[in-house]
Amino acid sequence: MRRTIVLIAAIAAASLSCNRGATTARDGKPTVALVLKTLNHPFFVDMRRGAQEAADRLGVTLQVQAAEREIDVEKQMQIVENLIQTGVGALCITPSGSREIVSALVKAKNANVPIVVVDTRLDAKAAADAGVRPATFVGSDNYEGGKLAGDYLVKVSGGNARVGILEGIPGHETGDSRLRGFRDAVKAAPGITIVASQPANWERDQGFNVFQNMLQAHSDIDSVFACSDLMALGAIEAIAAAGKSGRIRVIGFDALDDAKKAIAAGTMEASVAQFPSEMGRVAVESAVKVIRGETVPPDVNVKLELVTKDTLK
Amino acid sequence: MPAGIPIRQFGTAIGLIVLCGILWILTPHFLTVANLLNVAEQTSINAIVAVGMTFVILSGGIDLSVGSIVAFSGVVLGSALAAGQPLPIALAFGLATGIGCGLANGALISWGGLPPFIVTLGTMSIARGAALLFTEGRPISGFSPSFRVLATGRLAFIPAPVIVMAVVYLVAHFVLTRTTFGRYVYAIGGNEEATRLSGVAIRFHKTMVYAVSGLTSAIAAVILTARLNSAQPIAGMMYELDAIAATVIGGTSLMGGDGTLAGTLIGALIMGVLRNGLNLLGVSSFLQQIVIGGVIVVAVLLDTVLKRNRA
Repeated sequence: MRRTIVLIAAIAAASLSCNRGATTARDGKPTVALVLKTLNHPFFVDMRRGAQEAADRLGVTLQVQAAEREIDVEKQMQIVENLIQTGVGALCITPSGSREIVSALVKAKNANVPIVVVDTRLDAKAAADAGVRPATFVGSDNYEGGKLAGDYLVKVSGGNARVGILEGIPGHETGDSRLRGFRDAVKAAPGITIVASQPANWERDQGFNVFQNMLQAHSDIDSVFACSDLMALGAIEAIAAAGKSGRIRVIGFDALDDAKKAIAAGTMEASVAQFPSEMGRVAVESAVKVIRGETVPPDVNVKLELVTKDTLK
Repeated sequence: MPAGIPIRQFGTAIGLIVLCGILWILTPHFLTVANLLNVAEQTSINAIVAVGMTFVILSGGIDLSVGSIVAFSGVVLGSALAAGQPLPIALAFGLATGIGCGLANGALISWGGLPPFIVTLGTMSIARGAALLFTEGRPISGFSPSFRVLATGRLAFIPAPVIVMAVVYLVAHFVLTRTTFGRYVYAIGGNEEATRLSGVAIRFHKTMVYAVSGLTSAIAAVILTARLNSAQPIAGMMYELDAIAATVIGGTSLMGGDGTLAGTLIGALIMGVLRNGLNLLGVSSFLQQIVIGGVIVVAVLLDTVLKRNRA
């Protein structure tokens, strides 16, 4: 039995010894928590970098936690509950579920922890019903981003296109807003028809499969709008597999490095760039202002840009 | 009962206490009433799923479908509530879905003669697909406070999920140790052929074991749905692995026939305390996975070493 104890103690000690720096309520600096959807996506890694730079500059301690998988809102809820116990000064969060996370934020509210919502908005009704009022929202307007993509397609296609759409996880505010923006933009051009619109759940391999199936059903598709670059990159591979590289316009979202390479190579038309590190920076700055009792605007819009071959240097 | 079991269970309990002691030294936030209740509440879902898993593993099987059954039962419950069914009816629908999936698993394993791994792997995919199909992939959310009290309610400071967990463990412990069905679960896992030759209706009892697992998954689904105020078709992914881990850390042998529910509860608590403590300490989420994986491997290693010494 001594071995159980020794082994568990050793593991715990080993895991903790390298993390002493992170637990610093003791040095008097306020702590800001940043809870991300996941850390295995470049978008959130960039966001953390921006947040860390701002925290270092402002002299606050930043605690970053994330669920293992982007969709695991129950795990995210546990993280929020646990962080509240450590007496964080403010909570910045990118909700994995716009409605579901509200239950956890109620607990933050009851513990008087101010909330900064980043990137994905809370469901307005669920938040209002629970009495959760975030101090501010920091993010890009996904609707505007979708519109940017739609307007661009109208321009490059001369108002004539047959479009396949790859959606994110159904019911996700982020993807739904991008989709609405895109649809509203292309409505202006009667020559543009959306022939298929299917979810590929934000994933690259599903983007491949779903678009391959779409091409089977509608061989006349000449344009793709994917609500994220990972799905767009999957579609590009499906296009290559069908021997149609360069003949189908692919417009994505996020401007990932791989997407920029594809745009430079001509296999992708454009991608809407967000600036996650900017979001992280503004989120931490806002949180610090709230802790200091300064006022913050209810909504901070982080810029969006369309990346095309022309804008890449 | 073999002499090694109480000692080993005792050891797991000491492991838990030592873990708590280390966290107590490292962070002032761990040993507070609020945080311990927090841990108990967070552990409840995995602990309840692990009850059914313990029955299955004791009988010498495995159930990979529990996470998907959580999702499927959850969305059936959620849509019944959303359709305006009274709470008892909606709960009955949800629990019946779980039991139904479990019965299907059990029947295919017992009468179909298929390996549990394959059958429940299939059900894992079927139940997940059914949950997605049923909801068209969208979460069902926004339930009445009378339902949400199952997650948010408290009885003298104790959160409702913890009370449900305690009741499930008491009932299941009684079934496992004080009923013939319970004894047969151990017997089947210990030596199925010998049990069959002594006249036990193996097929029936094995089917019931998987029904128990479906039922506990559905009970977990009720709490999860109330907790998130949302029934998600993508809920419960990887719950099977957490439940197997809790069972195994708790000293139940994957070969069947040997283990206790008290051990499983301690196993689930060790995982919950670890996750909580690593959050409190601000350990990176990547490192957390390594630590939890390490604890599982060490627990099984210990199990093996102790068995060898006993033999």
